[in-house]
Order: sequence, then C-alpha cells, then structure tokens
Amino acid sequence: MVPYLFLAPALIGTIAFKLYPIFIGFWESLIYTSFSGGAEKRIFVWFENYQYLFDDKIFWKSLEITAFLTIIINPLQIAMSLGLALLLMRKSKFIRIIRSLYLLPIGIALPIATIIWGLMLDPNQGLINGLIGVFGIPPQPFLVSENQALWCIIAIATWKGVAFWMLFLLAGLEDIPKQYYEAAEIDGATPFQKFRYVTIPQLKRTILFVFVADTAANFVLMVPMIILTKGGPLQSTNVLIYEGYRSGFYYQDWGRSLSIITILTVITLIVIGLQLLFLSEKNEGIKVK
Amino acid sequence: MHFKRQWSVYLWYLVIFIGLIITILPFWWGVAASFKSNTEIFRDLAPINYKAFLPGFSLDSYFAIFENDFGRSMLNTFFVSITSVAGGLLINSMAGFAFAQFRFKGDNIIFGFVLLSFAVPADAIAIPLFKMMRQIGWFDTFYALIIPMLANGLIIFLYRQFFLGIPKELIEAARVDGLSWFGVFWRICLPLSVPVTLGAGLLLFVFQWESYLWPLIAAPSPELHLIQVTLGRFSTEYEMVWNQQFAASSIAGFLPLVFIYMFQKQFVSALTGVEQK
Repeated sequence: MVPYLFLAPALIGTIAFKLYPIFIGFWESLIYTSFSGGAEKRIFVWFENYQYLFDDKIFWKSLEITAFLTIIINPLQIAMSLGLALLLMRKSKFIRIIRSLYLLPIGIALPIATIIWGLMLDPNQGLINGLIGVFGIPPQPFLVSENQALWCIIAIATWKGVAFWMLFLLAGLEDIPKQYYEAAEIDGATPFQKFRYVTIPQLKRTILFVFVADTAANFVLMVPMIILTKGGPLQSTNVLIYEGYRSGFYYQDWGRSLSIITILTVITLIVIGLQLLFLSEKNEGIKVK
Repeated sequence: MHFKRQWSVYLWYLVIFIGLIITILPFWWGVAASFKSNTEIFRDLAPINYKAFLPGFSLDSYFAIFENDFGRSMLNTFFVSITSVAGGLLINSMAGFAFAQFRFKGDNIIFGFVLLSFAVPADAIAIPLFKMMRQIGWFDTFYALIIPMLANGLIIFLYRQFFLGIPKELIEAARVDGLSWFGVFWRICLPLSVPVTLGAGLLLFVFQWESYLWPLIAAPSPELHLIQVTLGRFSTEYEMVWNQQFAASSIAGFLPLVFIYMFQKQFVSALTGVEQK
C-alpha cells in the first residue's frame, strides 16, 4: 500500500494530463460538431473527418511542407551541433567563456528568439538587410516571401536548437575516457581515424538520443508560425501542427484539428520507431568496449 | 609542420569567432536597442552604421511596458513558476522514492508508462488537453496553467536514479528506530538530494517561465497572461514599437539566464543525466 501512496499524485498527473489526452485527441477526431441553429451538436462520424482531410489540397500541401522541414532541419541541427561540440572540445585559454557564450540561446525562450529574429529579418528596416547591404547584396524579403519564409524559420529554430542539443553532445564527449584517445594515438591513429573509431562509436547513444528528441521536437515546432508568419505567405510555412492549431482555434473545426494532430502523432511515432530500429541495430556492430 | 599547425589554430579561432557573432548578435542588438527611442533605432539602421550596436541611454521603453500590463504578467509568471516548482518537486520526488525503495506489483509497467510520458511532446497534446480543461471547468484558470504541468517523467527519473544510490543500511537503521516511510523520505532522503533538487527545480522553473503555447490557449484572459504570451501580444499589437518589444524581451530573457548560469552544473546534469565534474 505504502508505495502506491507515494506514487499516486505523480502517477495520476501523468495518466490524466499526459497519456489520457492522446486518447481524447483520437476520440474527438471521430466526432463532428455542428453549430446549426445556435445549438452545439456532436455527431459520431467514424473516420469521416479523415476522409475530408484526404480530399483536401491544403492538408496535402501541409504534409509536404512538414516532410520537407523534417528532412532539412533535423540533419542540419545534428550536424551543426556535433560540429560545434567537437570544435569546443579543443583546449584554449578562453574555452570556458567561449562555451558559455555559445550556450546562451538555451536560456532564451523560443518566443523571445522568434520576436528578436523577426525584427532582425524585417524586410524594410531589419538589421540583416542593413548588414548584407554593406556587402552590396540587395534587400531580401525574408519572412514575407513564399520562397524564403520557411528557411528563415529553420534558421531561427536552429539558432536556438544547436545550443540546446550541443549541450548533450558536449556532455557525451566529456564522458569518453581520455585513455581511448591516448591508446589510439599510440597506435598511430590520424585525427580522422580517432573521430571515426573512437568518438563516433562512443558517442553513438548520445547522438541517437539527440536525433530522436530533436525530431520529435521539430514535428511540433510552431511558435515562429504563430508569432511571425501565421502559416503564410501562401501557406509556405503551414506545417501540420500549425494547420491543426489553426483548424481548431481559428475555425472551431475540432474534428479536423484533432484528426490532423492524431495523424501527426502517428507519423512522429513511425519516424522515431524507424530511427531507433535502424540506428540502434548498427550500434551493436561497432562495439569497441 | 609548425607553420601548418599555426594555421589550424587561426582557422579554429576564425570559425569560433564567426559562430560567436551569429550567436550573440540578437542579444547584443536587442538589449542595446531596448535603451533607445524608436526614432533612434530606425535612424541607426537606415543606412546602417556602428551606432546600431551601441546601447542608448533611455529607460522610456521599460517604463512604457509596465504601463502596458507587463508587471501583471510577470507576477503571474512568478506565481505559476514557483507553485509549479514546489508542487512538482514534491510529487515527482515522492514517485522517484517509490520506484527506488519498493518492489511492488506492476512497478516495471508503471515505470515504463512514466518513461513513455516524457517522450510525448507537450505541444502535441496541448489541443486535446485544452478540450479536457473545458470539460472539467479549469479552462481559463490558474489550475489549468499549473496542475497539468506538475507530473514530469524526467524529474521522476532523476530522483529515482539519485535515491537508488542511497545506502540501504541507512534507511533500514532509520526504520528500526521507528521512523515512518514518509519520515524516511522527508527527513533522510530528501535532505540528501540537494543537487538533484536544484537541477530539477531549475528545469521546472525554466519550463514554466518559457512556456508559451499552453498558456496562450489554456488561459486567454488578460488577467491570467504569462510573460511569453504578453510578449507575443506586444509583437502583434505594438508591431512598430520596437523598443518596447526589445525591453520586454530583455526582462523576460534575463532571469532564466541568470539562474541557469548560477547553477549551470546542476542544470546540465539534470538535463543530460551526465554527472558534471
């Protein structure tokens, strides 16, 4: 009895507010709410909401943008944070202060980063257009351009994300025993060989964790869309999570909203499952210890 | 050979320097501009000159944001963050204690659920959770902002790992002396767990201080606005009033940064699960 008493508050909280909502989300996606005659009427419609979705061009476009964003942003963030973490492992007089400065964006909330970068990227008076003008580059439209808006959001999220994910990679790198490198050096390993045969295998678990967590986080990236682009211009930043948010909160179409969220959750689980399947299998092959 | 080595060092400094500029530029510019009038900000930018990077001397923007209800949202955020830290630390450390101290029916399955819960991104369940809050009548109250955010799988996990390291003999001795299980938890285990508690508390604090989407949809009344929501509101309502957006961002960004730097070691340990030396 005693253990359950200790467990109860946190367990009830977890089930009620973290796991149960997933089921509510699915359940409500099977319901159509009509407002005819001023009265709210809920009708159970099985998978009709999904059927409508599959006939909807906006949904497919949104799915396409989500796929594009996922394919670009996750490898980009992992590569940059790994590269930077390796650079910051070098010994230098100033390394402590340099590291601290690089980690600054972790303490900055995404809405703040979004607002400041939004002003920096302002097409008329923004700092970035001023700076590139010094090099003779003409002013760019950035967030108001169909072709550039998504790239700007990728840049903003990466500015914040790289610092955060690098923290895990740095901790992982620090954890690799120095003797492994010394042993490799005695065997005459080149820096690249040390990276390939010591760093990568030792860091594999951390990289896998960061890759999976980053992917999950970027599937629900929508703060820049809410604050800056509203999914535009011309739907160019309208990712699934934002389309779900907009369907519910702008158009009160909760059936559609939660169908989209449910589909996104399933996609997220499948992608993460595939990552774990493929990447951790390889892990068994190159065990060094 | 020596010559080549020198070059690699210079190259390293060059790359690091460019990266630093990109990292710091938004902070520097934002804070510098928060002390200027809007006319000054725009004048320094068109055409751009070095003055854009020098701070101004005016506090007008800071006074102005407090006239626009920024103080209210700061107080709200303090209240929500502090209650979340206190409540979250208590219930999650209790759960961690249960997982570390006892073998009981279903313990592995329940622990699996806890681990599963922290793989669920908060933003993904925000919309169904919002519907749930409306059904149970917590919508647009402080309850909705605080209570669903208390249970946290990561923090349960951190406490469990820490409590597993406390010697069994210590706990058995206390039990023989007649201390209740709650007494063991409260008077022996919890006081030992200061490092975990610092890190976990900081995580909970930063999590609430920086949350945006959930407070935006769960508590839309202006009296309940949290700091990030107010910031978002500034950026749409006062779109051309740049200095106020900068001032509000500077204040909102300052506190978590100070805390994180004060307790950097504990914060990183809590987040990454790797003990910092």
